[in-house]
Amino acid sequence: MHELVEFAVEKAQELGASYAEARFEEKNGTEIVMKNGNPEGLGILADRGIGIRVLVNGGMGFASTNVLTKESVEEAVKKAVKLAKAAAKLRNKPIQFSEEDFHQVFYEVKMKKDFRNVSAEEKMEYLKLIEESVKETGVNTPMRFLRYGDFMWHKVFMNNEGALVESLIPRVSITYNLVVFEDGQMEQAPFVQRAFSGGLELIEKDKPWEWAVKDVKALQKLIKEGQKPPEGKVDLVLAPEVVGIAVHESVGHPYELDRIMGREAAQAGESFVKPEMLGERIGSEAVTVIEDPTIQNSWGFYLYDDEGVKARPRYLIREGIINEFLMNREYAAYLGMKSNAAARALNYNREPIVRMANTYLAPGDYSFEELIEDVKLGVYMVSFNEWNIDDRRYQQRYIGREAYLIENGEIKHPVRRPILEITTKGLWSSVDAVGKEVEFYPGTCGKGEPSQGVPVWMGGAHARLRDVVLRR
Amino acid sequence: MFEINELILKKAKELGFGDVVVLAYEQNRRQVRFANNEITVAKNWHTQRVELFVEYQKRLASTTLTALDEETIEKSLQALMKSVKNLAPKEDYYGIAEGPFEYRDIPETFDKAIVELDEPNEYVEAAINAALEEGAKRTAGVLYTDHNKLYLTTSNGVEAFDEGTGIEISIRAFIGDEESGHGTNSVRVLKKFDPESAGRKAGEIAKMAVNPVQGEAGTFDVIFDPLAFANLMSYMSFMSSAFAVEAGFSFLVGKLGQKVANEGVTIKDIGNMPNAYGTRKFDDEGVPTKETTIIENGVLKTYLLNTSFAKKYNTETTANAGLLMPHAWNVYLSPGDYSKEELFSEVKRGIYITNVWYTRFQNYVTGDFSTIPRDGAFLIENGEIVKPIRNIRVSDNLQHILESIAALGKDLYHIHWWEVDTPVFTPYVLVKDVGITRATK
Repeated sequence: MHELVEFAVEKAQELGASYAEARFEEKNGTEIVMKNGNPEGLGILADRGIGIRVLVNGGMGFASTNVLTKESVEEAVKKAVKLAKAAAKLRNKPIQFSEEDFHQVFYEVKMKKDFRNVSAEEKMEYLKLIEESVKETGVNTPMRFLRYGDFMWHKVFMNNEGALVESLIPRVSITYNLVVFEDGQMEQAPFVQRAFSGGLELIEKDKPWEWAVKDVKALQKLIKEGQKPPEGKVDLVLAPEVVGIAVHESVGHPYELDRIMGREAAQAGESFVKPEMLGERIGSEAVTVIEDPTIQNSWGFYLYDDEGVKARPRYLIREGIINEFLMNREYAAYLGMKSNAAARALNYNREPIVRMANTYLAPGDYSFEELIEDVKLGVYMVSFNEWNIDDRRYQQRYIGREAYLIENGEIKHPVRRPILEITTKGLWSSVDAVGKEVEFYPGTCGKGEPSQGVPVWMGGAHARLRDVVLRR
Repeated sequence: MFEINELILKKAKELGFGDVVVLAYEQNRRQVRFANNEITVAKNWHTQRVELFVEYQKRLASTTLTALDEETIEKSLQALMKSVKNLAPKEDYYGIAEGPFEYRDIPETFDKAIVELDEPNEYVEAAINAALEEGAKRTAGVLYTDHNKLYLTTSNGVEAFDEGTGIEISIRAFIGDEESGHGTNSVRVLKKFDPESAGRKAGEIAKMAVNPVQGEAGTFDVIFDPLAFANLMSYMSFMSSAFAVEAGFSFLVGKLGQKVANEGVTIKDIGNMPNAYGTRKFDDEGVPTKETTIIENGVLKTYLLNTSFAKKYNTETTANAGLLMPHAWNVYLSPGDYSKEELFSEVKRGIYITNVWYTRFQNYVTGDFSTIPRDGAFLIENGEIVKPIRNIRVSDNLQHILESIAALGKDLYHIHWWEVDTPVFTPYVLVKDVGITRATK
């Protein structure tokens, strides 16, 4: 495949591109779905193609094809160049990319238990294990949607500035939706996912069936023992799952520089953050948020981004201060900076754009007991269902799924649907203490048009918020 | 492509598969994206692929083939058989539709002028200029042109072909950071394309939205712009699928024959609607698409079905295959008889919401959700817009919204954009007593 990629880059330059890149991607994998105990079907994923992106006269063009012949690739290159030329006419200033150091490199994530050598039948056993484990709890769970997925993601990236990056990253995941019906009430754990870069050993170590059991038992307890949450100003301890969605939505997204500068304005929106806000305070000193694609076996893992730039941890917030944005080459150039390797594409037929990978609240030095012990009245929010945020990333809301009352330093009965509806600054300024242990939860981050749902991890340590208003 | 379909079908039958569906696509799609009044990127996709569905003794499998040589086809089929053979059967699988069928041409779904259109940037300029003329300072958006060919062959005697085109634009106009409006236009034939109308609407709303004040929490009568209500209808359509109902993703579970909306509300799926972005001649098993009434005068009449679900429920397919998951083609909320002015005059104190995004459910089975207004939102008093407001959230229940629809506009709008994946036809909608919340710190 290297020849075809090289051919595309050379052809584009021949046709007048000042910048040219070609990216071959191939995904091979398996999907198994089970609904209410019935195997719904087996999906075999087999997809591959080439995407070509060029700059001509300061305009950007992109074309892709999944017909992997020289003729078809040449046709795609011609289209990309033609589109870029036409686009250049409707630009106020030419697009430029930041200067970067490039490498010729191959890397891969090794699997201990390679899913390519395991039968579909055996993979379905993971789902059956969830079915059986949930059944054994005795909790009435009439609706059960379970999904197993694996795929090997192979990429070959080349540009005309010396980058050649090839990678092989396997990904495995299990997702479930469980609806508990007890005492005439329905509660739900929707789209809960466990997901990793690596082999089946990671699923077996993580035991999603135990997560499912924990979920249905918590929902049953919520139905049987749940009470209204306290209203008005209380303290709130957020567990890593909730911290994760909050850092993702209100720190990761608004720090994407393409969004800040308006490129996503008609889709995912803009940002309350402006370039000149670097160095401004947005949270308490307890808050440090890190974005790190290089975490081993993470769902958002990569070592080189889809522009060939070497990845590193990015400190978005350092001790409460806005420290760094997420950038690709185009947007780094606008600020006269270097890319921090945030360019990702979902597939060969998508352009690389600024994305998160693994975003988390860095650990502090409180044990869990210390976080709880001096809360007089509060709520411990373990997990969430409904969440959303406005398109400037300033007004967000998270509703607890599993949550408990904290009274005089002790965790008490479950509380029903505590609602945190708060501004970004309000949230991060209220954090007075952060736990020691970091946990991660997977998600699919949506952005771009056409949509590019990319795998990410979200998480961090427990966070304690003082004096926030809860709604019920 | 039919030769390849035939070859795949023949090889699949030789290997011992029962039901086989081969759906081949040839797609040419073009996109122009713009932001800050300039083009950020232009794209072209050429895709050729075959979606393959096979059944072996009630064991189902599917895959997509992109390389179409004989060796790849054989290898893929053998791999499918090997994988599927030892799986447990899907006990509630009841087969695919029995063909052949007759297909009618659907007006306004194909236009050679779109295929031959060399350079669509003038339409982008037209939309941008219309927004700027209304007073917008900057615009962002996207334009698409589409040309699709579809070849369907099944083991039950179906051989069907469809060819379609489309062109659409979505544009958002800004004056300040928090003062924006959005407009869209989606059509299947070029002469009906009106990018200027999208730009004008975006610009008009942005201008009306200047200097917004913080909105208040409470219960309000809300007029939803078609753009905003289409978002809710799009979720509603997903929840109408029998698959979503069974899998616990729908508030419609167990409610067939029951009242789930105000008696003035009729919601359909129309797969064969002229000039609609989701229209196709046939579904994924070859059944000719048609009009299906999901909710009639407030009563839930049917879920969206394919043949297997229909047999399971002892009824007829609604021609919405998806072989695993039935889905809507074009959702249609029947219009009422209110002019836009009459609709506003019904509101003593309420809110006009022009767009929403980020709709999320706390509980799909109960329908509890929230969604966030974006672009202009306005306080209405005594039928008049009095001021723009910002930073509010619709926090309610989908069935409650449907039950509280008090009036429907008489003009329909076709909405299809980034937030509304399934095309929707909807008028302006007045909903009583909608929960509105806001941030508390």
